[in-house]
Amino acid sequence: MFAPLIAALLLLAGFLTGAQAQPLQPEDAFVFSVKREDDALILNWRIADGYYLYRSTFAADAGGQSLPLSLPEGEIYEDPYFGEGQIYRGEVTARLENAGQPVTLHWQGCQQDGICYAPQSVRLDADGGVLADGAAASGSGWSPQVADSATSSDTAGAASGLTLAEDEGLVQGLAARGGGVLVVAGFLGFGLLLAFTPCVFPMFPIVAGMLARQGEALTARRGLLLTGAYVLAMAAAFGLLGIAAAWSGANLQMALQSPAAIGVIAAIFVLLALSMFGFYELQMPLALQNRLGRVAGKRGSLGGAMVLGFTSALIVGPCVTAPLAGALIYIAQTGDVMLGAAALFALGLGQGVPLLAIGIFGPRILPRGGGWMEGAKRAFGVIFLGFAIWLAGRVLPGPVTLALWAVLLVGTAVFLGALDRLEGDASRNRRLGAALGILLLFTGLLQGFGAALGAHDPLRPLAPLAGGAAPAQAQAQFAEVTTRAGLEQALAQADGRRALLYLTADWCVTCRAIERGPLTDPAVHAALADMAAIKLDVSDFNAEAQALMQDLAAMGPPTMIFLDAARAEAAGSRLIGEMDSAALLASIGKVSP
Amino acid sequence: MTITRREILALTAGAGLAGIAGGAVLWTRGGGTETAEMTIKDVLHDPDNPVLGNPEGALTIVEYFDYQCPYCKMGHSMLTDVVEEDGDIRLVMKDWPIFGGSSVLASQLVFGAASLGAYEQAHEALMATQARLTEDQVRQVLRGGGIDTAAALAAYRAERGKWDGLLGRNSAQAAELGLQGTPAFIIGARIHPGALDETRLRSAIAEARRAA
Repeated sequence: MFAPLIAALLLLAGFLTGAQAQPLQPEDAFVFSVKREDDALILNWRIADGYYLYRSTFAADAGGQSLPLSLPEGEIYEDPYFGEGQIYRGEVTARLENAGQPVTLHWQGCQQDGICYAPQSVRLDADGGVLADGAAASGSGWSPQVADSATSSDTAGAASGLTLAEDEGLVQGLAARGGGVLVVAGFLGFGLLLAFTPCVFPMFPIVAGMLARQGEALTARRGLLLTGAYVLAMAAAFGLLGIAAAWSGANLQMALQSPAAIGVIAAIFVLLALSMFGFYELQMPLALQNRLGRVAGKRGSLGGAMVLGFTSALIVGPCVTAPLAGALIYIAQTGDVMLGAAALFALGLGQGVPLLAIGIFGPRILPRGGGWMEGAKRAFGVIFLGFAIWLAGRVLPGPVTLALWAVLLVGTAVFLGALDRLEGDASRNRRLGAALGILLLFTGLLQGFGAALGAHDPLRPLAPLAGGAAPAQAQAQFAEVTTRAGLEQALAQADGRRALLYLTADWCVTCRAIERGPLTDPAVHAALADMAAIKLDVSDFNAEAQALMQDLAAMGPPTMIFLDAARAEAAGSRLIGEMDSAALLASIGKVSP
Repeated sequence: MTITRREILALTAGAGLAGIAGGAVLWTRGGGTETAEMTIKDVLHDPDNPVLGNPEGALTIVEYFDYQCPYCKMGHSMLTDVVEEDGDIRLVMKDWPIFGGSSVLASQLVFGAASLGAYEQAHEALMATQARLTEDQVRQVLRGGGIDTAAALAAYRAERGKWDGLLGRNSAQAAELGLQGTPAFIIGARIHPGALDETRLRSAIAEARRAA
């Protein structure tokens, strides 16, 4: 997060104090254009005055094959400093026969007596269109593999001797097909899905409360206006998060997934739940109340609604951290601040759609208080507690999580009257409640047994009795690796078997969920049996780990990469973020044996 | 008990405040735990990078360079003269091989020589060349400078983790700092992209001292 800042400051200082002409950006020093002519691509570089390109550095390749590039004769170096060879000044035009597939072009040049640029490159599609993915430009230029051989390569993945699939991530895929609009639309839909998770529940009482303050004056129009302002402000807060993600790169999810962050959010939900049960009233400082009251004054509470919306995003944001972290990885990958902001804004809007319904139908569907509302409040409280446990389960040991579920379920059952004696004339609702209570009691007892047995999965509390696949097995099958050299070695030891590279870290909470979930699934075990499973641990987020991630073009854990025997990544197989057994099995199926 | 507006408002506000507090914790934690952050100290004081000039010098000059980059080599003797004459400058030459295989090999062999205690000797031998180099020329130049290249390669391999890590950090820093190529100087806290003649170098040094 600070590195770009340092660079910006250093550069700023340079601009402020230095009157010296800075070297041009490489894309301005060597302006590249391409034209289609019959069956060939005519490539042109306009070279700024005082700059030159090395003839020997021009290259074109497609699918790992080098293509012939017809280049004119260049100017012979006369200055002894240049050594032998030819350079181009002013302009150079080259001809490339149509390869019928995407082509990568490489070139390199210098500013006379100034700077020599890192290698530049561009990807063209079969028709000569420049592909947006210019990321290869000014690549690191270094790969450890070159030690003893004369070849050098600056493509990601070459360093590890791997071929990465060229298919794009979700965002790139969407962006390539329909531009930014499709990305934004995709996130809108994603937000709509999120709207039906418990994360958005805390917003219902918030919005309901906001509308209730309007009292009799509330019309459908007014309600829509208020909730609209609320949802817009919430979406704007998400947009800011998108900007932060695009700006900071992959590291945001590390903060969002830290055990401390999860602890804080779980604690917030417990507090919310306790207040729902009426243990205490949550109060904000009087000064702030007065202030909000003023904002909400007689012009109505549009401003207040926006403040509420903005702060609400702070609750919901961390709550949806797992899916959000996945989304943030994609956004960080693009590094596009505008797109990041727009996409996350759309995500926020999507989450707000159900709230708009409350705004429109507010007066009719808002309960008028009474016992019904009291029950609903308690139900919300139980849901909040459950949510807190679900969240905490990502960092707590399995049996502790089960024990917490047991406490919650048994407690709820007792309050539902599971242990009360039903009188003969008990109402139907009373009986239904008791039935539900007994079901919960039974489930809670099972969770308790599970905790005592040391089970890890709340959905299978008695798994230790069934004697199924022990989770420890899954861990043992992975070779652990933290360096590129280690990865090379592990792949060498795999003897041409297919390989699964699993990028993980201590601080990656989603990874724990994957290790307890799909990775303990017997079906996944069977499918993995003839594959080399290699765990890349990037807990120490040091230079080596980053280099490893860069080689694999991975933005962060959890990422799973599936390699065939030739160490090429299977197209469309990469998994990022939370995944289930089905996704894992599907990806394994895509790797040819 | 009925739910009142006041209750709902209070709940809302409380939740909002709790959210703000949680958010604040997240942000401060985010700043504190990320070991990946590059600081100016990482750039100026990489413990694995050999140092020329006065290792105790108060001012640090960093140069990102390539053993095949003509302008890096052209200005090098002037640079070392200025550093020596000044006496209070640490000179950190950061290998950033951007010219392909020969450059990487040159860096690796010089690192190997550093493991053998002959960093400056090997480095200066290569920096005294003018043209681009083939791999054979790299070995030949080093042998001419009194370096046993086979021993240097073995020494590099023995400490490969350290040296590859250094190269990786250098190129990551170059990318983070937005450097476009070599040479690129960092003098004090300022980036100077491209070659510096003696006048500009001296004024950059003076400026860095004024700013410090």
